[in-house]
Amino acid sequence: MKWLAANSTAARTWQALRTDPWGLAGLAVILFFFLLALCVWLGLLGAGWAEASGGRWQGPGPDHWFGTNMLGQDIFERAVFSARIAFEIGLVVAVATTILGAGLGALAGWRAFGFVDDVILWLLGVLDSIPFYLLVAALAYAMQGQPLAMYIAMVFTFWTATARLVRAEVMRIRNQDYVKSARAIGLPGWRIILRHVLPNTSHILLVQGTLVFVSAIKAEVILSFLGLGVQDGVSWGVMLAESTQEVIAGHFGNFLAASGMLFLFLLGLNLFSDALQDALEPGSARLRSRLFKAPA
Amino acid sequence: MKYLLRKVSNSLLLVIGVTLVSFVLMVWFGPDRTYGLIGKNPTQEQIDQVRRQLGYDQPFFARYLDYLGDLATLDLGHSDSSGESVSALLARTVPITLALMLPGFVLGNLLAMILAMFSAWYRGGWLDRLISGLSVGSMSLSFLVIIIGLQVLLCTPYGLNLFPVRGWNVSDFGSYLYHVTVPTLALVLVSIGYNTRFYRSVFIEEAGRDHIMTVRAFGASPATIMGRHVMANSMAPIITRILFSVPLVVISGSLLIESYFGIPGVGKASFDAITSGDQPVLKAVVALTAVSFVLVQLAADLLYRAFDPRIEQAPENGSARA
Repeated sequence: MKWLAANSTAARTWQALRTDPWGLAGLAVILFFFLLALCVWLGLLGAGWAEASGGRWQGPGPDHWFGTNMLGQDIFERAVFSARIAFEIGLVVAVATTILGAGLGALAGWRAFGFVDDVILWLLGVLDSIPFYLLVAALAYAMQGQPLAMYIAMVFTFWTATARLVRAEVMRIRNQDYVKSARAIGLPGWRIILRHVLPNTSHILLVQGTLVFVSAIKAEVILSFLGLGVQDGVSWGVMLAESTQEVIAGHFGNFLAASGMLFLFLLGLNLFSDALQDALEPGSARLRSRLFKAPA
Repeated sequence: MKYLLRKVSNSLLLVIGVTLVSFVLMVWFGPDRTYGLIGKNPTQEQIDQVRRQLGYDQPFFARYLDYLGDLATLDLGHSDSSGESVSALLARTVPITLALMLPGFVLGNLLAMILAMFSAWYRGGWLDRLISGLSVGSMSLSFLVIIIGLQVLLCTPYGLNLFPVRGWNVSDFGSYLYHVTVPTLALVLVSIGYNTRFYRSVFIEEAGRDHIMTVRAFGASPATIMGRHVMANSMAPIITRILFSVPLVVISGSLLIESYFGIPGVGKASFDAITSGDQPVLKAVVALTAVSFVLVQLAADLLYRAFDPRIEQAPENGSARA
């Protein structure tokens, strides 16, 4: 990779990733789904997801690869279209979570044990004390059917883990010589944070970003089942929620298509996230990060 | 003593925080309940009267204090949909949820600890890689997929058809097993991947310490080393994790399992409250779980302090939460 500056973090990460077959497999799966999503964005695939093009609950065949659902909609089209929704949810939530978590986490770490830190820690404690689905339910209740409620709820709950990690890292970085020098020559605090401190937390942000991506997609499934997720659209969660009515009657098209793609995508993301963790934080007790919001 | 005071005041601030969040979301910003509670064609007087009863004419802080008072005295009001008092509803549903979730929660942690011990002992070997691979697989499965899959495989004629498709009709131990098996399996499957990974990393960290090396050099058996020495010294993170996951797993897990299998526990009650917008039930469940979670945190901090006086300042809300 010539275009990467030799010995930069990115170059070293790539070096480590290259030798990790499972990580590369995960990356390949992610790229495959990204291509699917790209084709949907460009209108090449999945355009007919809402159209009732067949009879009710048709079996798989040349016209409908995975059969049709209760309304006669093509399950293959819907499953493919959902890849785009999964990417949108994962990306939006991961990016927003990273910005919020990095910003407030860095602020708290920079001012550690001061008043600002106390307030931010209090906020983290409060948000972490409310079970995720109940917070979402409360938000959805307050926002009454707003499609954004799901995103806001996810960002609200997921940023706390990022913020705690960044805070701890910034407290460590704060005492490094290069930060002390930057202070000594009179650089303002916000510039030191932006230019010299935050870039050195990028390994945490990247790994944490992939973990949030996974959590967001998993949470969407549950929220859609509870009726709090994707509104007026389709997603793997919506398809699974539909399938709960169908499997008892022996129609497995929706269930198999949605759960298969969901599993493959999540597996790819998890493998890639692990490889990234190994590459970026060799030797560290991996996993400290992947804890709480877990069982979903 | 100073430590105790600081911890208690910290928890008080957290309680204020969580009740404030649930108040702001559900009472202040929540939908206006006036018209749901009165009949058609009300007069202005009737409207005013209901609004006064609901406290809508009061300023923010008066209403918040009122809400705190209701919570403190467990005067939680009545469900909008059934009219049952919320305390009675909770007293009826919480035991069912505990009976439903406990086996899966305990098994999910115990099995994970055993797997993690093998994984840590044979670190890098084929068994470790197999267990780690299966953990990643379990982490990639959505809870809903697990539940639907198990239901099809175990409860319908398309599979083994051994257990009930839904419902909770428990009178003796046999019928309890009959109904609890599938939810337990689902809970174990969904949590075992995350748990195994967590315990594995804890055990590996502990197994690398000098005193474990010494025990090994003296020729102790793997079972003694892992069971007695590693396990005993890993108790702090393990207890933290278990304590901290109780409210989250019980509430979040039961919400899904109970609404899916139609089991009348607190999760089903919350689900019904969410779908029908039953504010009194919803706000009681949110506030009470959050407050009990804060209390659990406080208890954990104080227990550590009692067992291990070296902990001057408990690491930031429990080390395992980093």
